[in-house]
Amino acid sequence: MTSTEPGRTAASHQERDVPVRGSRVRVLHAGSGPPLLYLHSAGDPGLWLPVLAELATRYTVYRPDHPGFNASEDRPEIGSVHDLAFFYLDLLDELGLDQLVLIGSSLGGWLAADLATIEPRRVSKLVLAGAAGLRADGTVPDVFQLSPVELAELTYHTSGARSAAVAEAERVEQDAERFGQYLRNRSATAHLGWNPYLHDPALPHRLHRIAAPALIMWGAHDRLLPAGCARRWAELLPSAQLTIIEDAGHHPLAEQPDAALEALWPFLRKER
Amino acid sequence: MQFFGFHLMPYPYLPQRHVDSRDSTWVTLSNGHFDPRRGHELYQRYLRELVFYDEAGFDGICVNEHHQTAYGLMPSPNVVAGLLVPQTTGKIAILGNAIPLRDHPLRVAEEVAMLDVISGGRIISGFVRGIGSEYHTFSMDPTQSRERFHEAHDLIVKAWTQPGPFEWYGRHYKLRYVNPWPRPLQQPHPPIWSPSQGSIETVDWAARHRYTYLQTYSDIATVRRAFTGFREAAERYGYTASPAQLGWSVPVYVAGTDAQARRAAAAHLGFLFNTLLRMPKDVFFPPGYLTPASAARVMGAKRGLGTSTMDPAELMDRGYAVAGSPETVRQQITAYQKDLGFGTFSGIFQFGTVSHEEFTRSVTLFAENVMPALRPLAGGQPAVPAAGAPGA
Repeated sequence: MTSTEPGRTAASHQERDVPVRGSRVRVLHAGSGPPLLYLHSAGDPGLWLPVLAELATRYTVYRPDHPGFNASEDRPEIGSVHDLAFFYLDLLDELGLDQLVLIGSSLGGWLAADLATIEPRRVSKLVLAGAAGLRADGTVPDVFQLSPVELAELTYHTSGARSAAVAEAERVEQDAERFGQYLRNRSATAHLGWNPYLHDPALPHRLHRIAAPALIMWGAHDRLLPAGCARRWAELLPSAQLTIIEDAGHHPLAEQPDAALEALWPFLRKER
Repeated sequence: MQFFGFHLMPYPYLPQRHVDSRDSTWVTLSNGHFDPRRGHELYQRYLRELVFYDEAGFDGICVNEHHQTAYGLMPSPNVVAGLLVPQTTGKIAILGNAIPLRDHPLRVAEEVAMLDVISGGRIISGFVRGIGSEYHTFSMDPTQSRERFHEAHDLIVKAWTQPGPFEWYGRHYKLRYVNPWPRPLQQPHPPIWSPSQGSIETVDWAARHRYTYLQTYSDIATVRRAFTGFREAAERYGYTASPAQLGWSVPVYVAGTDAQARRAAAAHLGFLFNTLLRMPKDVFFPPGYLTPASAARVMGAKRGLGTSTMDPAELMDRGYAVAGSPETVRQQITAYQKDLGFGTFSGIFQFGTVSHEEFTRSVTLFAENVMPALRPLAGGQPAVPAAGAPGA
């Protein structure tokens, strides 16, 4: 997966297995410069998103598979996102990363925020995109009742992104190996977020510890987590700004990468 | 062969628009559709029907546990069993308590022990995980279901058999004092049954513990596979499974003629399989509820119980249900018994929209014209302790 073409390093990435206290974590990485850790969403089948390739033009971008997801091994002792955050501190030690930019999407956003409350000084900038972790009331869709196709349909906003995601979900259902991986990811997600539903009631009481500037990024048409959650994040984080991405659903980094980068670059460049 | 009468306590008064829809009858079907006045009449009737099995000469009656559904009105099988104890003389099989759903398994140990002592040792204690939808009902992490089931089972059996107090320090339950009063009357504990649709893990677990395995809602090919798996597992564990350890639970409808029985049963089976059991696949099988191998197979299947429409005639032809004249039913069950070797038969005579008149006629025809001829099968009736004989 490496590219040796000059000037094209941004579009390619490498893959390595990192041993962490006896289990293997698959990490995609690319670029050079200060470290940036991207924490993926629950439905991410192991993608190197185009937005990561762009970020790799200025950062060394790391994109691990969470334990229990995709190509990373299970860690049965991890029973919560808080446990998972501690595991990630071990991974960061293993990678030798001290201060870094932290970006998380959906489940990964929740994880990023939790991690930043544990070691606030380790995080220079925090980006939460459609982040789970705060309570949305019982009127939001229950993702655990949805079929792969229904979930794809609800995740994206533009008709192009929706139909592409639905077609992809249908292909996954037909492919035994990929469907098995989908079910494993879903099971891992359920274990982390079944009850309380995809949030941690204790998290709001710890968020004041996060010192880093935070960018809260939300799709204008997020049908899985309402915009009220975005405002709540902005209220609870000491130094947060809120960016709404037009024509995007629950995954703005994937659905509108250009608009997302327009918001990301100035935020990342800004002196704190 | 021993005979049990199973009752599902269905709530049949659903709006036609729900029946005609594809909406779930579990978890989210509004309880606004439950009319407590009609519910009162149903419970009175259903309890009479359960007692009727006992009076008609069945060895026992079966009750079960399900939640937030019109499929059955028995969220607490122990309450129903308690009501039946003074009205019956035979066994009462609770099939079963969904032990992982309980915050505290000792409550099950206590309740079943109470029922066993009060009934003079007539209780059969089934243990189940609860179906997948019930993990939605209680917002209970389905990925932990199997582990919780095993730990709750081990805790309950130890609480019944080892004098307390003792400490239990498990992954899911941590108890400083395990010492439930009363202890069960039957020694070492009430018989334990394991109802299942045939998962390899459950078949193996039941065989390992030498419990009675009860196959539910399956075609004959699946019943055969499960029973064969049970016998093979028993041999691996160093013993030969007895016929009584193999139970088959199946809807039964007996009428004067085959045509009458099949016509009537078709309507009730259609309501049972296509309305009462109906729910989305992701509700029936939440993430992690099944093992990865089972999940890939079940979730990838185009058809499935409750998740696709089933043709009642096909259900009868494939052995999901038995319907006919007494002669036909006798022949069918005899043939199935000779093929499959079960010694425990659990007939579900109340299912779907079966009326009280149909129920009593069907049960009476079965008890008088089918059961006597089938009794000698599987080596006759297994020895059971006499009802009401403490210490038997």
